[in-house]
Amino acid sequence: MSGLSAPIEISGLSKVFRQTTSGQSIVAIDQLTLRIDPGELVAIVGKTGCGKSTLFDLLIGLEHPTAGSITIGTKTPYDDFNAFRGKIATIFQQDRLFPWRSALDNVKLPLELIGIAEDVQQERAMSWLKRLGLEKFANAYPRELSGGMRQRVAIARAFAVQPEILLADESFSALDEVTANELRKTFVELAREFKSTAILITHQLEEAMAVGDRIVVFGKSATLLADIRMMDWDRADYPLLREGIQNTLQANAPDPRLRR
Amino acid sequence: MISSLPRETIISIVLFAVVWQIMSYLAPSLGIPAFAIPGLGRIAESLTKITPLDVAVTLGRVLLSLVVSFVIGLLVAVLMYLSGSVEKYLRPMVRILMAVPVVSWILFAVLWFKGVEFRIVFVLVVVCAPVFTVDALDNMREVSRDLKQMIRSFRPTPLQFFHKLMLPAITPGIITSWKITLSLAIRVVTIAELVGAVTGIGHQLSVAQELFSVADVFAWTLVLVILLFLLEALLVQLETRVLRWRA
Ligand SMILES: Nc1ncnc2c1ncn2[C@@H]1O[C@H](COP(=O)(O)OP(=O)(O)OP(=O)(O)O)[C@@H](O)[C@H]1O
Ligand SMILES: [Mg+2]
Repeated sequence: MSGLSAPIEISGLSKVFRQTTSGQSIVAIDQLTLRIDPGELVAIVGKTGCGKSTLFDLLIGLEHPTAGSITIGTKTPYDDFNAFRGKIATIFQQDRLFPWRSALDNVKLPLELIGIAEDVQQERAMSWLKRLGLEKFANAYPRELSGGMRQRVAIARAFAVQPEILLADESFSALDEVTANELRKTFVELAREFKSTAILITHQLEEAMAVGDRIVVFGKSATLLADIRMMDWDRADYPLLREGIQNTLQANAPDPRLRR
Repeated sequence: MISSLPRETIISIVLFAVVWQIMSYLAPSLGIPAFAIPGLGRIAESLTKITPLDVAVTLGRVLLSLVVSFVIGLLVAVLMYLSGSVEKYLRPMVRILMAVPVVSWILFAVLWFKGVEFRIVFVLVVVCAPVFTVDALDNMREVSRDLKQMIRSFRPTPLQFFHKLMLPAITPGIITSWKITLSLAIRVVTIAELVGAVTGIGHQLSVAQELFSVADVFAWTLVLVILLFLLEALLVQLETRVLRWRA
């Protein structure tokens, strides 16, 4: 059983891109402050281009902030990059499987990278494929699998390392609604079972409401427009909530109905 | 092997042989000296005199040089991939290497080095290694950003990054480079062997030339071409096995 012991603290985080061609600056993230507690399931919604994927890259540790910081315990994912080996896992919109590896070997990849014993790798990867209902396809190559099955393999690959932090960027957006629903449910179940702290980035409000314990609404440049805890809302009020978030997104300003 | 050839291929080879044989009959009456177009019988006789040792020696030189070229070429490509400034300094050098004619390399080799074997390997490596470098570098550049981001999120060591992602990703390209350099090396080795070697197919070709034996030249050339085809067939087999995932 894994589980993050310290919260993810994003404070005063900014990321500015300077375009090489025009010399113009793009403020992708503007002084974002946000705290995510261990074991929380957070959905981040925002319009296209609002800086979601940029935040994602910073959380993975592949980009450095222009200002501010992300700290997890005493470490940052970008400066203490290797300290997070085996602790962060990602699920993207595209499955990003290695086409030259079988489903089983794709799930094994992160286990190989953290260097655990070969027989343990095999066993663990296989049990994750079983868990996602793919044991019969262990030896199939990605091209032999449907889009939904490939995304299942990607989910198995992410959970196989039993990460403390799970980052998902539009992970279910490319799937048909039925498959997406199914995988969302599996994702939430697994994240809870393993007490992972999970952040799902999405532009679909319905998805955010289906997955998150908490919905964070981003405006332009990842400004925090709303931060909603689902347990503060009765199911009966969901339509109101939905409308409130929709208005917030549209107006790029907090909707008064969201105040609780 | 022959049975797997398409019918058209067999027909065109047979047609060529027939035309050749007719030409060889007609040559004297056309004022062409008889030795210039020897009959098929005479060529067959030359084929029986092919010495396997010379074939083996040439094959050995080609394979050794290709392995050396591959290792050097890949290492240089990796260095260029890792460092932008290494790339900027080496790219013009590689381009220049590729522009130099083979004959110049042979002359340099003769002037610079004493050992015959070393000269031959030098010429082959200097011709083939840049091909591996340029291809491998291009292929590495084309590896999907998405896959790089995915594996990086799992924090691989630099070695794991290359071994788990880059190498398998560029394998199809590497096999293509081998096909190109193989035919290049087979053609270049014979010229390299003309200078100083006392073994190998190139040497035998020069002997045949001194003896004015077109039949011998024909026979040795035929052996060389068949050798190339056999090696290529092996590569294709390897390719289908290694790249099963593409199908
Ligand atoms: N490497 C980069 N160089 C320059 N500009 C960038 C770079 N990455 C992102 N941007 C810019 O930063 C802004 C935020 O982009 P980002 O990809 O984070 O948005 P997003 O919310 O993920 O959008 P989407 O929903 O379309 O995926 C955009 O204006 C984008 O053009
Ligand atoms: Mg995005």
